[in-house]
Amino acid sequence: MQEAKILSAKFAIKDSNKLTVAKKHGAYKALDKLFSSKQGEVIETVKNSGLRGRGGAGFPTGMKWSFLPKGLDKPVYLAVNADESEPGTFKDRYIIARDPHLLIEGIIIACYAINSHDAYIYIRGEYTTQMEILQKAIDEAYKAGLLGKKVGKQDYRVDITIHRGAGAYICGEETALLESIEGKKGQPRSKPPFPAVEGLYACPTIINNVQSIASLPWIIQNGAMAYKRYGIESATGTHLFGISGHVEKPGVYELPFGLPLLDVINEMAGGVWKGRKLKGVIPGGSSCPVLTPEEAATATLDYASMAEHKSMFGSGGIVVLDETVSMPELALNLTQFYHHESCGQCTPCREGLGWMEKIFKKIVAGEAAMKDLNLVRELCDNIEGKTVCVLAAACTMPVRALLDKYRDEFEALLKPEPADAITEASAEQE
Amino acid sequence: MTEMIKLFVNGEEVEVESGKNLIDALEKVGIEIPHFCYHPALGADGNCRMCLVGIEDGRPPIVPACKTPAKEGMKVLLDADHIKKIQHDVMELEFINHPTDCPICDQAGECKLQDYYMKYEGTESRMWVPQVKKRKVQDFGGGVIHDQERCVACGRCVRFLRQITKTGELGLVKRGDDCRVEFFPGRPINNRYGLNVVDLCPVGALTSADFRFKQRAWFLKRAESICHGCSKGCNIMVDHNKEKYEDDLIYRIRPRHNEQVNGWFMCDAGRMTYKPENDNRLEECTLAGSIRPLADILADAKSRLERASKVLFLVSPSASLEQLVAVQALAEKTGAVVSAFSDGYIVKDDGDDFLIKDDKAANRTGVELLSIAKSRTHFDNTAKEADVFINFNNDLSRSLSEEQIGKLFRETWVLNAATHPGQLGAAMEGKAGSSVALRSWSEYHGVVVNCDGIAQKFVGGVMKNVERPDIVEVAAGLGSPATNEAAAWALVQKKIPALAEFGSFLELPDEGVKLTDNEAGK
Repeated sequence: MQEAKILSAKFAIKDSNKLTVAKKHGAYKALDKLFSSKQGEVIETVKNSGLRGRGGAGFPTGMKWSFLPKGLDKPVYLAVNADESEPGTFKDRYIIARDPHLLIEGIIIACYAINSHDAYIYIRGEYTTQMEILQKAIDEAYKAGLLGKKVGKQDYRVDITIHRGAGAYICGEETALLESIEGKKGQPRSKPPFPAVEGLYACPTIINNVQSIASLPWIIQNGAMAYKRYGIESATGTHLFGISGHVEKPGVYELPFGLPLLDVINEMAGGVWKGRKLKGVIPGGSSCPVLTPEEAATATLDYASMAEHKSMFGSGGIVVLDETVSMPELALNLTQFYHHESCGQCTPCREGLGWMEKIFKKIVAGEAAMKDLNLVRELCDNIEGKTVCVLAAACTMPVRALLDKYRDEFEALLKPEPADAITEASAEQE
Repeated sequence: MTEMIKLFVNGEEVEVESGKNLIDALEKVGIEIPHFCYHPALGADGNCRMCLVGIEDGRPPIVPACKTPAKEGMKVLLDADHIKKIQHDVMELEFINHPTDCPICDQAGECKLQDYYMKYEGTESRMWVPQVKKRKVQDFGGGVIHDQERCVACGRCVRFLRQITKTGELGLVKRGDDCRVEFFPGRPINNRYGLNVVDLCPVGALTSADFRFKQRAWFLKRAESICHGCSKGCNIMVDHNKEKYEDDLIYRIRPRHNEQVNGWFMCDAGRMTYKPENDNRLEECTLAGSIRPLADILADAKSRLERASKVLFLVSPSASLEQLVAVQALAEKTGAVVSAFSDGYIVKDDGDDFLIKDDKAANRTGVELLSIAKSRTHFDNTAKEADVFINFNNDLSRSLSEEQIGKLFRETWVLNAATHPGQLGAAMEGKAGSSVALRSWSEYHGVVVNCDGIAQKFVGGVMKNVERPDIVEVAAGLGSPATNEAAAWALVQKKIPALAEFGSFLELPDEGVKLTDNEAGK
């Protein structure tokens, strides 16, 4: 198994975040081809390439662009989602820190395609060094005439503004991200209207993930067909997989879609560490339902296979869990995170996730009874699908999987049932 | 006419107005969709999730009704099991961190959480872990007290202060179940409409410092009235109660919805106009300083009227149309002059572009419609010559100083019919003459015309322990041809033809009657 270096081509090159070095290795070469194509042609190329959003939802990028209403006299905005906050996900930071010019080049391409002149990069507040590197790269690009009024001496303006988040996970949700850029509390908007129709400052807005944008220069330069040669029919191209957890060689690996999950873990990441046994795999960031070793054995790294296994492809953040992991503690850890990050806007998520966390605390402390366990399992269903955004589902889906697949581990922590259950019930009533 | 459309609710066809969301459209035909955060005046927010309904063949199949426009042929599911389950589950989640302290909560009896619990949840608590603790008694300013634990974070108060008053004192801060309403540090609620947030709050999180702990909502009797605090004529609900051995007292005034007058709101000053209705009221009728029955006083005054050479009646610009015509008819019969001089009722630059008006008179337009003179010159000139002066509850102390009043009526015999003391200034108090204690606006009913020429009826529900006469009764006792309310209303109809079609004031539509600009004398 070998890496396919499309996005990560310059990752290993020293000082590749500097314009001169990046240019020497092919940066901004796609611009000539870009400006000699019509805008519609660029969208067609991206559609044909099969590129799907790399933020986690996997929505086809070209199709997203085509939702923009035609003939509006409002400006169109591009918002680049660099709020990479999903636990287990650490791919975008590599692009930003090691090849920021790839991202900038991609932004120019996306802006040209959707007829936008103003791009905002929403970067998570914790990415301080990454932000500095990115700002330096943008400054360099401005100086070199690659950004500003005339991009690459063409009659096309592109301006990029970095907007730093304040550390809220929810601001990675695209409409909360827009609210945050507008200076408001980061809370998701209810849809419709969708951002493509009414987004940033009530103008049509496209929101793309960093990796989606960074995939564009290669596609433009080499064509849709070349890109499709990587991966499989339903999931073309490559993805940056961030493998973490209990493996020998954690890290970011660029691989084509469709490879067997276990092979990737074993061959690229060196397998489960310390010779221990595999207990489960979270395939694409913390919100993806965990796969058991049996499921992991048949799963491949693409959208369809993960859906078949009732999980999600997600963001490519693979977390490997060895036999020492306590699943109840993992469930507690997850609910703690999502409860803390719930924006507090809508009732089920605001009230429900805190409730779930407290019940898991009780379970982990060995103070819970069967009714608590049944309740928390029921809450997963009661909360999911009733909320404004999918943050609550991002918590309930993996928790439900843990409860269903590792139920005996939770049951083992329960307080022993009293010999006479009726006595307990009547005692409670008093 | 609004366009009507047909849609299906639980399989049954209903006809509703188009252009409304499902909550409003179905409410008009008597179908309730539970909701906390939506309010017609504040728009849809979609945060409470209580109004989730099913749409058969819809994409998505479950939608918030507040954000879903009613559409022709739509198949709305309300009593399907999966929708009932959502309502139950959302209610359970609203409740888990709620203190459920109904016995000491002022909202009890008119609380959406209580009502919806009975209707949509009704199961025992499963909150077997500790609740979230928040601040209990917080002074939000403007007479608003906040209990963070009772709050359901619907954000109505926040949206009201941002969208309507545009003062934005409140915000929702923190995240998750720690989310709470707070005012910006050092900037509590400070505007003239702040108390509306108490009405808007669907639960007991925001209560009025003025009202709290005084009455349980279910003991209050309600009278549909019109605010007499200014010329806007906001529609109000007068909540009053007579406790055993006590007098009938008003405990609060709340706005009543009338789209063409005040919408859903009213000003804080208007709410406080109940206080003078309860307190410091005149109780006795006097003749030359001693307490006498009303009949004696009226008989005395009547004989003086017959003997007088020049008589001046002063009416209040807040009096009802019925009262005004009764006095007017008496004047026509006795040759007296009527004035509605009330310059002091106008407080320059006090009004705003929302509800508060400069003119603090409730029926100045009515005075104009009945062509009653109100200039100062007319009043002064008549007063100088008059040997009998009868005041019908005009607070003259607003327009003239004590000295001026004393000078005008030095030689005049005065009958002061009033609700409150001091209307003619303290100097007149000791002056020999007569006085009659009157009913006030919360105790009689009638019609007033607001600053926009809208005639509105109001009902007086308060029944005081001390019987007092209404102005119509006093005028009749002095010989007015308008011998009772019906006769007075007939006279009103003669003078204002636009009201001719209404057999009694009660027949006026709830939203009022817009008199033509011409008739309104504008």
